[in-house]
Amino acid sequence: MKQTKHKLLSFAYLLQGSKRYNNIKNFVYDLIENDDYPYKKYFDFFMIFVILSSVTLLVMDVKQHIPVWLDNFDLYFVTTVFVVEYLLRMWVYSDIHKIIIDEYEESSYFDKRVSLLSLFSKIAKDKWAYMSSFAAIIDLIAILPSYRGLRVLRVFVLFRAFKMLRYTKSLTGFLYVLKNKKFELMTLLTLSTFFIFIAGIMLYVFEGDNDNPNIHNLFDAFYWALITISTVGYGDIAPITPEGRIVTMLIIFTGIGLISFVTSIIVSSFNERLGVLREDRVVQEVGKKKKLTVICGYGLLGRLVVRGLEKEGVEFVIIDSSEEMAALAYNDGYHAICADATKGGIFEKLGIADRISHVLCLTSDDIQNAFIAVNVKSLNEKVHVAARCSDHEIATKMECAHVDQVIMPEEVAGMMGAVYAGEPVAFEVLLSIIEEKEKTQINEIAIAEGSFLDNKAIGEVDFERLRLILLGVFKRSEGAKLGEFIFNPSDEFVLNAGDNLVCIGYSSAVANLKRKM
Amino acid sequence: MKKLQDIVLFGYGSFGRQLYKNLRSRGHNVKVVVGMDDYVESESDTAVDITHINIKRNDDILALNINAAESIFYCAMNKTANNLFLVLTLKSLYPEANVIANSNSNETTRKLKYAGATSVIDLYEATSRRIVNVLTKPAVSMALDEIVYKQNDLKMLELELQENTFLEGKYVSEIQFRQMGIILIAIIDKELGYELVFTDHRINHKLDAGDILVIVAKKKDINKFQEMLVSKSSV
Repeated sequence: MKQTKHKLLSFAYLLQGSKRYNNIKNFVYDLIENDDYPYKKYFDFFMIFVILSSVTLLVMDVKQHIPVWLDNFDLYFVTTVFVVEYLLRMWVYSDIHKIIIDEYEESSYFDKRVSLLSLFSKIAKDKWAYMSSFAAIIDLIAILPSYRGLRVLRVFVLFRAFKMLRYTKSLTGFLYVLKNKKFELMTLLTLSTFFIFIAGIMLYVFEGDNDNPNIHNLFDAFYWALITISTVGYGDIAPITPEGRIVTMLIIFTGIGLISFVTSIIVSSFNERLGVLREDRVVQEVGKKKKLTVICGYGLLGRLVVRGLEKEGVEFVIIDSSEEMAALAYNDGYHAICADATKGGIFEKLGIADRISHVLCLTSDDIQNAFIAVNVKSLNEKVHVAARCSDHEIATKMECAHVDQVIMPEEVAGMMGAVYAGEPVAFEVLLSIIEEKEKTQINEIAIAEGSFLDNKAIGEVDFERLRLILLGVFKRSEGAKLGEFIFNPSDEFVLNAGDNLVCIGYSSAVANLKRKM
Repeated sequence: MKKLQDIVLFGYGSFGRQLYKNLRSRGHNVKVVVGMDDYVESESDTAVDITHINIKRNDDILALNINAAESIFYCAMNKTANNLFLVLTLKSLYPEANVIANSNSNETTRKLKYAGATSVIDLYEATSRRIVNVLTKPAVSMALDEIVYKQNDLKMLELELQENTFLEGKYVSEIQFRQMGIILIAIIDKELGYELVFTDHRINHKLDAGDILVIVAKKKDINKFQEMLVSKSSV
C-alpha cells in the first residue's frame, strides 16, 4: 500500500517536472480550447467537417441504405474522433498530478496519512465537474448515435449538430446573448405559459363539450392556444362559438405584444453586445500581427498620427474611451476598440507581453496620458511609450515613470513659430521638410553589409550624382539605439555597414539609393 | 546683422507661452496682448507685460500703436474663432501686415489662409510627423531634433546675398560649401522667380545679390562664413 502511494507520488512529480509532458498538454489545450491560438481554427474546421459528414450520412440513411464503407466511416472514424476529443478535453480540464501533490503536501504538513480513497474521490470530483458541464454532456450524447442497437438513439444525431456551437464563435455569441437576458426571457416564458394555460382552459370550457368537433381534449385546447398566441395560426382548430372567438381575439393581441417584446429584448441585447463582438473581432485580427503599435486617443493629433503611420505601413490599433471616437475610427477603416486604456485588460488582450512594440498616449488630457503610460509601463517595461503633454511639470512626472518620449505639441509648434520671425524662408523649408508635403523629403538610409557604400569614404561617394544632400551620419553603435550624429562628415570619413545616412532629396532619389543597397 | 522685427503676440495660452519663450530667446521684442476675458496663468519667473484689450474693437488694436510694417503679428488665441476674427481684423486694419496664425487642423488652416494669414502653423502637424518619425525613421527624427528642436550648436538659417560678395556670379557647384562646414539645403534664385528650390543638384544655380540661401551649419562656421561674405563685399 505504502509502495503504491510512493509510486503515485513519484509519478506525479515526474509529470510535474516533465517539460515534454507539459508542452504536449499545453499544445492540446491551445488546439482545442484557446481561441487565440492560430492553429485552433484548423481543428475547428476539421471537427465541423466530421460533424457535417456524420449528420449527412445519418440523414441519408433514413430513405436509402448507405454503402458499408460509409457506415463504417461513421461508426469507427467519427466515433473515435468524438471519443478522443471527449477524453482530451477531460484531460486538459485539470491536472491530476497537481491534486496528488497538493494532497501529499497537505498531509505531510499536518503529519497525516494520505488516504487513497479521499485522493481518488478528489480526482473523481474534479473530473466530474467537467463531465457534468453542459458542453461535456452534449459531447457525450453526441457519441451515442454510434450505438446501432437502439434505433431511437439516432435522434441524438441532432446533438452532433449542437456540438458545432463549440466551433463557431458567432453562434456562441448568440447563446451568450440569450444567457445574458435569461431573466427577461424567463419572465416572458412564464407569462406566455400562463396565458396559454388560461386561454386553453377557457376554450375547452366554452367549446370542449362537443360544440367544436376539433377539440377532443384539453391538450387540443392548449395546442390551439399556443398556435394562436404565437400568431402562427394553422387553422386546423378554430373557435366556433362567440365566447371562443372573444378569447381568440384577446390572445391574438397578447401574442403580438409578447412577440414584439421578445424581439426587442434580443435586439437590444445584441446592441449591448455589439461593442464586445467588435472588440473580439479587432483583437482577433490584430492578433495575427507580430509587431503592433497602440494609439490611445483618436482626437486631432491621433488622427494625424494614424494617417502618417498608415502611409508608412505600420500596423496599429486605436483605443478610445469614447464610443463616438472609436466608432469614427472604425468607420474610417481602422482597427479601433472602445475601451479604457488606463486598465490593463485591453493591453493584455492585445498582447502587451510580446506583440505590442509601441504605445502612443495622445489624448488631450495630460493626466489621462500619464495614467495610460504608467499602466503600460507597469505591464511591460520594454514597450516604447510616447506620451503627449502640454505642461512641463507633468512632463517631468512622466519622465519619472520612464516614459520614453514626452511630446509637447505646443512646444514643437512654438519653436517652429519662432523660426518664422527671423527667417521666413528657413521656416518654409523646415515646414516642407517636417510636414513632408513636398516630394523633397528628409530620409534615412541604412548602409547594408557588402553594399557599394560599405567601407567607402564620403569623398568617394558622388552624392551630386545621386541627387541627394547629405546632412549627416549616425554611426552604428552597440544595441538597438542609434549612435552619435555626425553632422556634415568630412571627405575622409569612412562609412560602414549599419551606419545610417540622413539625406534630403526627392523621394525617388532616396528610393533609388535604397534599391541600390 | 539683420534688424530683428518686433512681435505682437495675441494670446498667452500654452502655445502662446511657448512662442513667447522661443521668440525672447531669439532676442525679439515681444508685446503680449490678450482678450478681456482671457485667463492668464501667473508667470512668476518672467515679468511678462500683458495688455488686455477687447479684440472685437478696432480702436483697442489701433491704440496699441503698432508699426505694422516693422512687426510680425502672431495670432495664438486658444479659440479658433477668435484667431480667425483677429486675422480678419488685422488684415483690414493693416493690409500689408505679416500675420502668422496657429491652427489645429487642415480645415482651420484653409480658413485662416483665406482670411489672409501670411503663414499658418498647425499645432499638431509637426508633432504628428515627429511621432511617426520616431517609429519609422528614428535617424531622421534624431537628426531633426539636433537641427531644429534642441538648443545646441547646430542651426538652420537663411542668408540673403548682398551686393559684391565672393559668391556673386558663381555657380553653386563651384563653391565648396561642405568644406566650409556648411550644408546648403535650399535657395530662392531670383533669376528663376521667387520660388523656393531645394538644392538637390538637379539645377546648378547661379548666385546673385538678392538670392536667399537656406543653410544648416554649426555656429562657428556660420560666423566664419558671414565674415567671409562681409570681408569680400567690403573689398
